[in-house]
Amino acid sequence: MRKTAIVLIALLVPATPAFAKVKVVATLPWIGSVADEIGKEQVEITTLVKPNQDPHMVDARPSMILATRKADILMYNGLDLEIGYLPILIESSRNPNIQPGKPGNFDCSHFVTVLEKPVSVDRSMGDVHPLGNPHYHYSPARILSVAEGMASALSALDPSHADAYKANLATFREKVRAKQKEWGALPTKGKQFVAYHKLFEYLAADFGFTITAYVEPKPGIPPSAAYIEHLIEAIGRSRPNGILTTPIYGRKEVDFLAQKTGVRGVVIPHDVGATPGAKDWFSFMDQTLSALVK
Amino acid sequence: MAACMHMGGPMKIRCLLVLLFSATLVSSSFGEDVESRLKTLEDTTKAQQQKFEEQQRLIDELKSSLGGPSAPGAAETAALPTPSKPVQTATPGQEGTTAKLTGIFGGSAMTNPYLSLVVNTFFYGSTLKQKELDSRTVPGFTNVPVDVRKGFNFDSAELFIFAPVDPYLTLYANIPVTESGTELEEAYFVTSSLPGGLQVKGGKFKSGFGRINGQHPHAWDFVDAPLNYRAFMGAEGMGGEKGIQVTWLPELPIYLQLGIEALQGENDQLFGADAKDGPHAFTIFAKTSMEIGDSGTILFGPSFIKGKANIPTVADNTTFTGNTDLFGFEMVYKWKPSRGTGFILQSEYLYRKQTGDLRMGDVADPASTVAPLTRAQDGIYVQGLYQIERWRVGARYDVLDLIKKDYILSGSQQSLGKQPWRATGALEFNPSEFTRVRLQYTRDESSRDGKTNNELYLQMLLGIGAHAAHSF
Repeated sequence: MRKTAIVLIALLVPATPAFAKVKVVATLPWIGSVADEIGKEQVEITTLVKPNQDPHMVDARPSMILATRKADILMYNGLDLEIGYLPILIESSRNPNIQPGKPGNFDCSHFVTVLEKPVSVDRSMGDVHPLGNPHYHYSPARILSVAEGMASALSALDPSHADAYKANLATFREKVRAKQKEWGALPTKGKQFVAYHKLFEYLAADFGFTITAYVEPKPGIPPSAAYIEHLIEAIGRSRPNGILTTPIYGRKEVDFLAQKTGVRGVVIPHDVGATPGAKDWFSFMDQTLSALVK
Repeated sequence: MAACMHMGGPMKIRCLLVLLFSATLVSSSFGEDVESRLKTLEDTTKAQQQKFEEQQRLIDELKSSLGGPSAPGAAETAALPTPSKPVQTATPGQEGTTAKLTGIFGGSAMTNPYLSLVVNTFFYGSTLKQKELDSRTVPGFTNVPVDVRKGFNFDSAELFIFAPVDPYLTLYANIPVTESGTELEEAYFVTSSLPGGLQVKGGKFKSGFGRINGQHPHAWDFVDAPLNYRAFMGAEGMGGEKGIQVTWLPELPIYLQLGIEALQGENDQLFGADAKDGPHAFTIFAKTSMEIGDSGTILFGPSFIKGKANIPTVADNTTFTGNTDLFGFEMVYKWKPSRGTGFILQSEYLYRKQTGDLRMGDVADPASTVAPLTRAQDGIYVQGLYQIERWRVGARYDVLDLIKKDYILSGSQQSLGKQPWRATGALEFNPSEFTRVRLQYTRDESSRDGKTNNELYLQMLLGIGAHAAHSF
């Protein structure tokens, strides 16, 4: 009887052998990239959302359920960005490790100070994120905080490699600080831009420029012809330094506005991998900032 | 009062005010004295709140100036890690306790369940008279007409409630409110923390049999269910059934979900509540999926449900008792190459076999006759939807008596008339994620008598409240 109990317990407790890699499932490409910097060869990363996808509108594909089923840790952006598919993925995964409240449920947004948390919100305002602007991956300081959180979380899951995670974090920190100096020296301060979507607020806050208007009249609502007319007039008058967009959002509208007003359109990758050169978080930020000041 | 204890400063004061206010209502003897004191208190609170906000603004300003480099000269300071540290400490073990009020399920207060309301309303036009519609059935399959009125229809306002019960279970409920009253369509728990890829669902829920069956009508790609669903399960699909479901996702390189169910068996086309004491419908199904390229996903699998039947829906003034087997095969292909473009191709084949006795006339009537009946019939639908930005166009073809059309009463095949089929086209506009306007035309040749029903639907779907995720 006792033997059976022991065998049963042995079967139930998920045995993680010391040599096995920590299986990390990241929702967005930038999360996968930062996790890779911290985990390196100790982790095996699966990224659910493809760089060409709109992170706001993702279908829960069965392959994602399969990946989360095997995950030791699930890392996600949070602030309701993944609300359309992540709850169902977590439930369908049947994976006890990654349920809310478990160490394997890693919400990156817990480690950042959030901008634009609305005091009150309803959906007549468009698809406003009620918990604040979720696109903090453009903020180097915040990414560093997230990386610190990742290092602690990975060390807790895999204590035998805690030193490696610590060392990787130190390397990452050095690199971010060096880059911060480099990016901070670029002439972004005081500039004014118009943006398609509310995507670049953290970038503006960190690099000292302002976003004066949006091409979308309300978040998630594409502009009407009349609104475009109004924008042409407004942009023509205020002459901002550029109109910001990403490869997947409103390219047509921004190209049209740029052509009509002579103000340049600036295509910024919305995530790692969204443009051919943005192969990790650093090159993603390099591309973002060089596009801004071009 | 307990609620006040968890609130922040200004909130607490507001709570206090409310309490004071109710106190004045109760004891009028305080009267004006309290009123004036209340006024003073209110002013103080306002002043305090302003102070709060000012301080918060200051903190935010400081934070953002520390968060990023402002000028080349300030780069040194900016390179320091933000001292205004993460809201949460980096100890993952504490995540459950120190985490902010909102978890993965979003929303604002954890103590309240997530609520949403979906309103489904439509205008219906037809070339037939209402009287003809009310008696329009699919002979040989079902004697139940579709419940629509020419003109304005109110399908339902569906209330969805869900929340984690505790770390082990999540509870879901779906309560459609219709003009004829309120029903409990679904109320079930789902486990989240069983080992080995197992999951248990129990209560009243929609069976995992097939594809459309498990979806809520507002999530369907057309206003109505396809003909084979209507013929074998009813216009709403199998609907909520009481029972238990166990599904298993084995750890394999490909996605494979296996499931079994024991259900009470109350659907009046398949089983009937009185067919047998105790649960009398049992389901087994499998679904597998793989990716085709970067943007394509295919999902397919068979389902089977078996049970005892005692149903009045074969034809008017009859009761059928016997056994039901329903076999289904589903296939769906989704292609989503970009944000504004998508394509879905979906099909389900259903085959139903019933063997037993058909009593003609009332059971209590000694003059009623009984004859052996075997029905082995099938049907299929194929539908495609193409999305361009906020628009979707769809087409569907559904047909019965595809391969098998046995209706053998007392040993002889009955001739039932023409083959039932329909062709449908739809155009959708989705102004936002929460609104859908759908225009649908159907040419319906399902009544076997050659009488065509040209149908036009203009449907409006609206959702408010929590953003419930939809499965694939």
